[in-house]
Amino acid sequence: MSYERELLKGSTDSLLLRLISHQPMYGYQIIKELEKRSNGYFQFKEGTLYPALHRLERDGLTQGKWQKLPAGQERRYYYITQKGQQALTERVATWQGFSIAVDLIMQSSSG
Amino acid sequence: MTAKPNYFSNLKNQLRIDPGVESSVIRELDAHLEDKSQDLRESGLHEDEAVETATQLLGSPRLVARQMYEVYSQGSWRQAFFAALPHLLVATLFALHWWQSTIWLLALLGAVICVVIYGWCHGKPAWLFPWLGYCLTPVIVVGTLLINLPGGWAWLAAIIYAPLALITIFLVTKQTIKRDWLFASLMFLPVPAVLGWRLALGVEDMFHWYERLYDAALWIALSFVVLAVTVTTFIRIKQRWAKAGALLMPEVLVLAIVALVSKNSISFWFWLFLTLLSLFLLLSPALLERKIRKG
Repeated sequence: MSYERELLKGSTDSLLLRLISHQPMYGYQIIKELEKRSNGYFQFKEGTLYPALHRLERDGLTQGKWQKLPAGQERRYYYITQKGQQALTERVATWQGFSIAVDLIMQSSSG
Repeated sequence: MTAKPNYFSNLKNQLRIDPGVESSVIRELDAHLEDKSQDLRESGLHEDEAVETATQLLGSPRLVARQMYEVYSQGSWRQAFFAALPHLLVATLFALHWWQSTIWLLALLGAVICVVIYGWCHGKPAWLFPWLGYCLTPVIVVGTLLINLPGGWAWLAAIIYAPLALITIFLVTKQTIKRDWLFASLMFLPVPAVLGWRLALGVEDMFHWYERLYDAALWIALSFVVLAVTVTTFIRIKQRWAKAGALLMPEVLVLAIVALVSKNSISFWFWLFLTLLSLFLLLSPALLERKIRKG
């Protein structure tokens, strides 16, 4: 497994929680939004997004609900739960601490 | 226009999750394909080409099915306990010598039948299958007891009873395999233990059989506790290969307990034959599933 894929695997849940914390979204919408917000950096293997979404739902971090679009088709929207919001807050704090520490080492010029 | 139906057919074959969740997953992926195809058509692709490309971009159905299975395959501790409960009840029956009481035996049989009817009518959850196994075990035990009837009665019983018993077992197994072959193996789990004890204790001399059963009761209880632990492990594990391993390994241990307690009544070669036969019995649903899906 490549380093980039490993990093993405470890961050997928946080990325998904962050996106749906702004507004409830359905699977395809999430994929497009991730791609747009990362300037095309995050391109998921589309089918594998759904197991990740269902895992979050199983763990009680999100809740899926079928809803009708204005055009009449039904889509499964994912809502963040209170537990999910708490988990996201913790993950963001952990990520920020980790990112600062990695930057301090990676960008140090003294070697 | 075969890409999409082929994809969903492959996915369904490998998904092996609760039917309610399965239909929701299929519906969600179908909606995804609808959206993606629409975008691809807007970018200039022909209708068929758009659907085919969208399906390809969804990735391998095998991978999606495996990942989805891992999300839903792990039961809760409560489900694990409920699945292990019939083995624990049988273990208690022997540990406390309640097997001698007709009331306790009938109470257990009644409980098994009620739980099986409830589970069968409520979406066949994973915890149902160990209970279902106990519904089938008496069918097999009665069959082996009929063989010991005197003279021509054994033949008559075999001719009438054996086909009926086999048809019943086959139909229940087929229905179970449609859900997942591992559940059929879970259902068969107590069969080798019951047969092993039946052969080890013998039934030729009723008085000695009763005496031997009394002496071996604690060991029999222990073997059913092993089965209860096996079922708990099975329910809590996520990966399919690990679930299959969790079913096979303890069966060997149970038959080793049977052989140890039976002393001379089971030879090593007969024990080995019984063990291989048990492993075949537990793996046979996988072969049957392959045949059903090909057919």
